[in-house]
Amino acid sequence: MLEARLSQSMVLKKVVDAIKDLVQDCNFDCNDSGIALQAMDNSHVALVSMMLKAESFEPYRCDRNIALGVNLVSLTKVLRALQNDDLVTLKAEDAPDSLNITFESSTADRISEYDLKLMDIDQDHLGIPDTEYAATVTMPSSEFKRICTDLQAMSESVTIEATKDGVKFSCAGDIGNGAVTLRNYQNVEKEHTNVDIELTEPVSLTFSLKYLVNFCKAQPLSDRVKICLSNEVPLLVEYLVTGTSYLRFYLAPKIGDEE
Amino acid sequence: MARTRASKGNDTASKDKAAATSASQSKYTISAPSNNPPKVFILPMKATDGARIVSLLHPRYAKPTRYLVCPETGFYEFTRITAPKSTPRSWLITTDDRKPQKADTGSEPVEADASFGTYVTNGAELFVATPIDPLFLILPTLIDPSSKSEKRRYISGDDHFDRIQQESPHLWEILRWGEGRVRDLLEARLGAVCDTVDAGDERMFRFSEDKLTAEVLSKARRMSTRTLPRSMEEKFVVKPLEAPVLGVKRETTTTITTASTLASAEIIQDDSSNSDSASGTPTLKIEASESGSSISLTDSSTSFASDASTTATSVIASEESIAIAEALLPAMVASPEVISLQRLRTAFNFICSSYVPSSLVTILQSKLPAQPEADFGPLDTYLSELNRLKQEAVIARSAGDYTRKRVMDDEELAERAEKKRKKEEDDKRKKIGESRGVRDLKKVNTAGMKKMSDFFKKKA
Repeated sequence: MLEARLSQSMVLKKVVDAIKDLVQDCNFDCNDSGIALQAMDNSHVALVSMMLKAESFEPYRCDRNIALGVNLVSLTKVLRALQNDDLVTLKAEDAPDSLNITFESSTADRISEYDLKLMDIDQDHLGIPDTEYAATVTMPSSEFKRICTDLQAMSESVTIEATKDGVKFSCAGDIGNGAVTLRNYQNVEKEHTNVDIELTEPVSLTFSLKYLVNFCKAQPLSDRVKICLSNEVPLLVEYLVTGTSYLRFYLAPKIGDEE
Repeated sequence: MARTRASKGNDTASKDKAAATSASQSKYTISAPSNNPPKVFILPMKATDGARIVSLLHPRYAKPTRYLVCPETGFYEFTRITAPKSTPRSWLITTDDRKPQKADTGSEPVEADASFGTYVTNGAELFVATPIDPLFLILPTLIDPSSKSEKRRYISGDDHFDRIQQESPHLWEILRWGEGRVRDLLEARLGAVCDTVDAGDERMFRFSEDKLTAEVLSKARRMSTRTLPRSMEEKFVVKPLEAPVLGVKRETTTTITTASTLASAEIIQDDSSNSDSASGTPTLKIEASESGSSISLTDSSTSFASDASTTATSVIASEESIAIAEALLPAMVASPEVISLQRLRTAFNFICSSYVPSSLVTILQSKLPAQPEADFGPLDTYLSELNRLKQEAVIARSAGDYTRKRVMDDEELAERAEKKRKKEEDDKRKKIGESRGVRDLKKVNTAGMKKMSDFFKKKA
């Protein structure tokens, strides 16, 4: 039996909105530590990993492990009815056919209740090891989104080059080429605009911009984004949700002849 | 709308009622079907008034069967002719009332006229009586399971007939007919297949397998002097002797030829292409002259040989042209002798399978080759040659016939349609549950990008 009540209901909506453009159906794995999700896109070159910790919910109760197989488009349709200040409650039985979703208006004069049919989804779980990345860039999420969308107009892939001077996003396309370079930047008054670059060795990797732009749909979740790079391993793009809950995207780099 | 329907309903109901009442008041009543409906027979003119239908043991199937026996003219078997099930027919049987029927069957009073009116029979069965050699009817009496030919003793005709007394109850009856003429007839036929000895005033018989074989063979010979009935001739004489058409056969020989030249060409190709074409040409020419082929074959093969760098496709092309050029000539034609032998064998087998007890058939088949006047040698050589040709043709066809597709039956088609429908439905459902972002990502060029499973290993 699962019962999870989330006061910051918009988090759920934003998470689902961010994932739904990458994967179609996925399992929400619920256990006593929280609700987790891991899924790959159709081409299996990108992976999304979400963890909503039990602390994010109040209250949270999950007696045994439950996999909620959900079509994200359907879930989006239900979450469309969610209003800004609503409290959302997820309920499911131990072997559920459907997921019960309740929206309570904070003024408690309206309760909406939805039952979402679940499906059986066969998914492999990949073990993701903790990695020491060669370069970690923490920057405003809106900045990252802007760079990605701007460069997408020029080319379909971007080369991210991290050196001690800064991080350079460059691309070359049919109409020409372009590059955006960010340097370390500290602003004590507006901390969320800081750009932090931690580097152990220089890295240069190329990625599909379509995928990166897709990851940026998670931008409303957080005003900070962490980008981790290392040679020969997937790029990690992490958005912190609330507390230690996170939404992470992994993307395989483009190797070999570019374009 | 509803009203019209209602009125119509009433209409039909009343009609039904009318029909029902009229049926019950029918002018004519149909009498119950007769338990013993009349049958239609065609009897021979020459059969005398003393002829009767009796039950005798069928020689082949060892069951009591009806035969027409006439003390003067012999035995007749009945052949039943029926209309096929698809076109049911019936007889209308009437008697001519104007002429009073003569009581023509001798002593037996004709009970007909009173009870025998006009009939419509259910099935249009027709029984035709045709003469049968009484020899066949006494064949079962000759089977003595205990005996080998050396140990067989001479016994009297009566003792022979005794053997089937149980199964053939009417036999003793007919033996007394016509002041023993039937008996004389039977004993005479018995003599035809037995060694005989006169012991006093009684004749003793001992079954001779050789004599029976000769007798059946002579019957078969008489049967096969003219062509057999058409369906029989078609199925047992023409078809088995038919050879595969020459086109197929020639194809096989050319494949062998080209294959061998290709092989030789391959070996020599390492040396030089000049010597290759030089050695290739004579081989082909020899083969061509051996098979006594037309100019077209030589032409195509030389053109093939002149091209040193021939590819496999051109070989196939030349083969096909040969096949077309010489198609539809049978590889072998059966000589009249072979045909007549096949006919004789067919007739012999036919007689054996329809009139001779199965235990005797095996004996007859084994004795047949020993018969001096039946030399099936030419037929056998022809058939073995034919068999070889057919096998070759089959091999050639299975090797070259890659265009023949398997024919699907209805069930498979239905299954496939069902699968397709399911898949379409599945796809449709998937499309609905797919966001625009997911759809767009499908178009992304992921070349050069490794799969996630290459980086992260699966959890157990």
